[in-house]
Amino acid sequence: MAESTLTREERIALANRRTGLLVFQISWIMVFVCLMLVNVQIRANFASWPPEGVVPLERVLPTIAALGLIVSGVFAWRGLNAIRADRAAALRQNWLLAILLGAGFIAIMAYEWVTVPFSEQYGALFRVMTAFHALHALVIGGMMLRVYRRAAAGAYSAADHWAVEGAAKLWYFVVAAWMLFYAVLYII
Amino acid sequence: MATISRPLPGLDLKPRSLRVSDYLRWSVDHKIIGVQYMALAIFGFIIGGTLAMLIRWELLTPALDVMADGQAYNQLFTMHGSVMIFAWIIPMMAGFGNYLVPLMLGAKDMAFPWLNAFAFWLLPPSLLLMFMGYFAGQAEAGWTSYPPLSTLYSMDGQTLWALALHLAGISSILGAINFIVTIKNMRPEGMGYFQMPLFVWAVLATSIIIVMATPFLAGALTLLILDRVAGTAFFDPARGGDVLVWQNVFWFYSHPAVYIMVLPGFGMLSEVLSVNARKPVFGYRAIALSSMGIALIGFTVWAHHMFTSLQPQLRIPFMITSMIIAVPTGIKIFSWLGTIWGGKIHFRSAMLFGLGFLSMFVIGGISGVMVASVPFDIHVHDTYFVVSHFHFVLYGGSVFAIYAGIYHWWPKITGRMLDERLGKLHFVLTYIGFFFTFFPQHFVGMLGMPRRVAVYAPEFQDWNVVISLAAFLLGISTFVLLYAMIVSLVRGKRAGANPWRALTLEWATTSPPPASNFYGDPVPFKDPYGYGTEAAFYYLEDLERRYGKPEDAAAPVGKAASQAAGD
Repeated sequence: MAESTLTREERIALANRRTGLLVFQISWIMVFVCLMLVNVQIRANFASWPPEGVVPLERVLPTIAALGLIVSGVFAWRGLNAIRADRAAALRQNWLLAILLGAGFIAIMAYEWVTVPFSEQYGALFRVMTAFHALHALVIGGMMLRVYRRAAAGAYSAADHWAVEGAAKLWYFVVAAWMLFYAVLYII
Repeated sequence: MATISRPLPGLDLKPRSLRVSDYLRWSVDHKIIGVQYMALAIFGFIIGGTLAMLIRWELLTPALDVMADGQAYNQLFTMHGSVMIFAWIIPMMAGFGNYLVPLMLGAKDMAFPWLNAFAFWLLPPSLLLMFMGYFAGQAEAGWTSYPPLSTLYSMDGQTLWALALHLAGISSILGAINFIVTIKNMRPEGMGYFQMPLFVWAVLATSIIIVMATPFLAGALTLLILDRVAGTAFFDPARGGDVLVWQNVFWFYSHPAVYIMVLPGFGMLSEVLSVNARKPVFGYRAIALSSMGIALIGFTVWAHHMFTSLQPQLRIPFMITSMIIAVPTGIKIFSWLGTIWGGKIHFRSAMLFGLGFLSMFVIGGISGVMVASVPFDIHVHDTYFVVSHFHFVLYGGSVFAIYAGIYHWWPKITGRMLDERLGKLHFVLTYIGFFFTFFPQHFVGMLGMPRRVAVYAPEFQDWNVVISLAAFLLGISTFVLLYAMIVSLVRGKRAGANPWRALTLEWATTSPPPASNFYGDPVPFKDPYGYGTEAAFYYLEDLERRYGKPEDAAAPVGKAASQAAGD
């Protein structure tokens, strides 16, 4: 590994960032778990879900979007592996695909968000959960974009790619968080 | 040992002198941030205490006489609770953690210094938002803010309150991530997890609770704000919502938050008792791991706050888990008793507050087991019994521990000693004032006096007069500490490096420590609580020779001192 060339201080700093990001992911996923549980508790008060007379959410497009998001996560992962092996060109290609798929996901969910018919709890829970997730997708997607632009300028190497690693791991977080929400919104 | 008995050549021992203005601006030094947290917390304590005095003034008589109306009283106790929790105890504990954890680990700073400063600077705006509520119709739903009080029946201050808590919550999460990473990655060589000081263990357990629980507060507050400003109705049963959603999510954070407020106090107590009893901590692993036990079980007990609103079949399981959590707490109490048992006890102010903690916290713990049992809880639900219980835990527990911590680490932080006579006066006044403020609340509570009311039945007045007078004494006692602090800063005796002859690493440097904390790489003593051994004696002698001894001329020097100290 190219990281073996780092000084002791740099190694500690890198280890700190990795641990810190991991703890943050474990911590912040709890907000998503919280909203899932809120959804479950509110629906338990209704005889059926969606409540009677409410149009169920359309599933085809969101499922395509979710699959696209997973594939986007895979491309981010491939990009990270590429830069670990010092293949900067492969990083850019994979990263671009990841961003495009992510943007597609956000576009589809934005369309769903706007077109979902109004219904008190069912619609409100859907909108709050998707919007909350979309905020994360947008902010972290912005970081992905910035990493792409810096990658295009040749800023990363096997020895120095923390920004790529951090952005990729946060993007996995976006994917994992959506898996939780997708399960509770569309499957259960 | 003889080879290192002389000051090392080139060791420039100039303790830092910091100006007040250094504490008012952005700094990434964990010691400055620690003091910033503590100063903000003490400011919060004074505000929260003033509100408490107003509450007790109002309750001197059964009629409404100080407050304009019941609503003003609701705002009063809401702000008292919120300020004491989010602007006093939690930041104070964070302050101690910030100041001490890197020092105890022999590190130069926290893992993420910038993030550390950022986490602190979220707090002043948070406090400001909370108080801006007074211009928008202050929050008045209690610190628990149950809907529909907090949604349908309160004014815009409630929204500001929720935003303020959002900031405080994010600040806590960022701080906790920093602690976990620092403790995991920045221990010196030769210090495994089981050689860490117990305070560091306690901060680790606290941080784990914070990162797992505080996001639930964020979730709950987000929904509350949406209900208030965006027209959703998650907590409105009339529109298909459910008030129990708030209660569940809020208490899933706020019960663990009780341990967030007291676990660091447990850690401080382990240090203070061991140092002042000149004995190794009894049951080091038991104390360390019981913190983790409390952190774990703490997540399974939240619904005991909801015995009267919960589905009846869920009451018994939560009653059982709530009683089980007394076990790790009991392990700690007995370990502390074992620690001081047969020790050569120095009754310094820190130790007095430590012993005060032991007595008061046990009372709070026992009344906790009482309210954990469903039949009794239904009887005393929403009465002064509950108020008494949680003040015994939060004041008799957390605040006594904070006082012990202040007396113990003040010399390290400022380089000057606090006056022991003033400390003892402070202790006596606090102890008496505290006990007679909160113990009689058990009685009026069991007799049925409800909490959160300004107007009460006249037959409770006698006890309420006793309670209020004792509360005023308690309020006055705080000023003894503030006075002692000022006296110490102006003309306190120089503390030297290690006035208490303690073995943990924060004492192995000058007081206050230099910007980089240590002169060279510190080597931790092999056992942080190995008091009473010859090796400890030589280690402490060496520290004094290197980093300076206390100014107190009466203190005997050399072998005599250490025999007097019981090493």
